[in-house]
Amino acid sequence: MRNRLCKVQQKFNYKGIVVEPKIRDFFIGRIWTRNHTPFSQEKIEKYIEHQFFNIKPGISFFRKGFLQRQIYRCNRCHNTNQHEIVHYNCARCEKVCVYCRHCINMGRVTSCTDLLTWNGPSSHYPLSHKLVWEGKYTEAQHEAAQQLQESIKTGRHHLIFAVCGAGKTEILFPAVEFALNQGKRVCIATPRTDVVLELYPRFQKVFPKTNLHALYGSVPVQQGFPQLVITTTHQLYRFENAFDVVIVDEADAFPYTYDRTLQKAVVKAKKEDAPITLVTATPSPQILSRVKREKWGVSFIPRRYHGYPLPVPRYESLWSYDKKIQKGDIPTKLEEWTKARLTNKEPFLIFFPTIRLMHMATSLFQQLDKRIVSVHAEDEERKEKVLKLRKEEVPGLLTTTILERGITIKNIQVAVVGAESKIFTSSALIQISGRVGRNSQFPTGDIVFFHHGITAEMDEARNEIIRLNREGFGEGFK
Amino acid sequence: MKGTEVMNCLLCNTPLNEPVTWKLLLTNHFPKTICTDCENKFKPYENKEKAVTSLYQYNEAMKDYLHRYKFLHDIILAKVFREQIHHHLSKQNAIIVPIPMHPLKLKERTFSPVDELLNEANVPFTHYLEKITTETQGGKSRQQRLNAPQIFRLKNGMDVVGKDFILVDDIYTTGTTIKHGKKVLLDEGAKSVTAFTLIRG
Ligand SMILES: [Zn+2]
Ligand SMILES: [Zn+2]
Ligand SMILES: [Zn+2]
Repeated sequence: MRNRLCKVQQKFNYKGIVVEPKIRDFFIGRIWTRNHTPFSQEKIEKYIEHQFFNIKPGISFFRKGFLQRQIYRCNRCHNTNQHEIVHYNCARCEKVCVYCRHCINMGRVTSCTDLLTWNGPSSHYPLSHKLVWEGKYTEAQHEAAQQLQESIKTGRHHLIFAVCGAGKTEILFPAVEFALNQGKRVCIATPRTDVVLELYPRFQKVFPKTNLHALYGSVPVQQGFPQLVITTTHQLYRFENAFDVVIVDEADAFPYTYDRTLQKAVVKAKKEDAPITLVTATPSPQILSRVKREKWGVSFIPRRYHGYPLPVPRYESLWSYDKKIQKGDIPTKLEEWTKARLTNKEPFLIFFPTIRLMHMATSLFQQLDKRIVSVHAEDEERKEKVLKLRKEEVPGLLTTTILERGITIKNIQVAVVGAESKIFTSSALIQISGRVGRNSQFPTGDIVFFHHGITAEMDEARNEIIRLNREGFGEGFK
Repeated sequence: MKGTEVMNCLLCNTPLNEPVTWKLLLTNHFPKTICTDCENKFKPYENKEKAVTSLYQYNEAMKDYLHRYKFLHDIILAKVFREQIHHHLSKQNAIIVPIPMHPLKLKERTFSPVDELLNEANVPFTHYLEKITTETQGGKSRQQRLNAPQIFRLKNGMDVVGKDFILVDDIYTTGTTIKHGKKVLLDEGAKSVTAFTLIRG
């Protein structure tokens, strides 16, 4: 009886409104503020009235511990860090409200903000996806691709531990095709916008029949229901219970590993039973122990696709380099290194520990070659400058750690200035070293750590690279 | 918002480790809310006239700040300039009058940026004016703004005769807003009206 009543009720609620596919397709799996959707407010209100949406408050609270302390939680980004929760006298509801600073760049969420999730009919998933890829796998890639597909099939978490340049994107193709044709919704998330920009055209090309969206920063709304989403982990704040398969690429990259809410966002965005796949060249000890404890599937690829070993970094002391640069001189060894690159016409990257030092050095390097420029995270011309390096319009770039991953340039030579600085963790140094020798025509190259004292992180990076080469090429390798 | 200690720079999130010195405790300064690097990005405005005083120039850093404070509604940023605002306004004898928002606009924004700057700076103020149009000045040309009919009126029951006032706004660009406010107060019999803004556009 109760069941029947429900049915009647449901029918009644759906009456008098025709669901627009574009509204349905947008909201499935999303969590969105009521007053800032890309559709007219009037329409949204009508859908709410007909119960096509579930509504929850932007911030809720729970009590914790012996003292029953009140802990606020943002229902969009799941932030519970109380330093990022602000109380204020709200003129809208005329009482004390709270808001979340953690995700404020996506539009502020307050305790008096309504968040919408879709409660209407679902979409139809096409099952005619086709992988169009002519490339050839190495044996290791082939094996990893099979292992991953097996894990996805059985709903098991999986780790792909592959050295920089192993060709890890291709490994994902068969598993993604398989999942899509099972009618599953797939998400490839990465902490870096640069990586989204690199992956999107590649997936678009090999999955021509698939509706695929790329999400990052302020990208405009794209049409249709995206069964495959390539996104920054940050944008996952706006999803909830959405994906059947989630792959986190560059899972070791900042800020994912440091920001607990981003890790929570991945869990929030996927359906409860959906398997997670982590792809990384430098898995943290925490990830490795979790993999072991929870019996994840694992694929390990210690060799690059072209079959050559990873270039091993060398150390060069560069005492008091910061004082030298402040005084207006490039330290001799660094100057000679740069001049050699210019003479040999080899493209180069020079990493700096701080923007400040890099800016001071830029004008000095421009005296060697006036085309040398610098890039950093907030540089609006970042993409253009990297492109110029690729097209050989500039001989080299000075950069912060922002270019530590995602960039592949033929015959690139790399120097790290101040490799002892805190910002150069072992995983950052491994990534930076991984830029060198990726192209099969130029499988080697120079990677030098200029330092004011050798740190444990530097040694750890170097030892790990040597260890991986041994794994890939046997004990005899040095 | 009061009482919560700021641990990280409100603008760039780097940890603040300001040592608690005797000077700080004795002079009752406001604890810092932004780091020195962020502080140095704001450039003081050199005032050339007496009628309107402004604290900072409108540069990239200030543009960012205003965007986050006024448009992303990050109210806690009202704390950032509290020391400087306090320093400038707390010893004045004139009555502090914030430029008001229209009640509808206030509800929409959920807070008044100007009032919050003063609250955080511990500067007492009184609303003498009320806004009578819901339009903002932003979308208009300079000519339209200057020719616009009065946008403020005196609040009911407020007596201004013979008193000195300081009008406070967040930013001064063309001066129209201040000019309109000033006219209302002077027409009603105020003795003097000067103005203070955080930013000069
Ligand atoms: Zn949040
Ligand atoms: Zn409220
Ligand atoms: Zn700062």
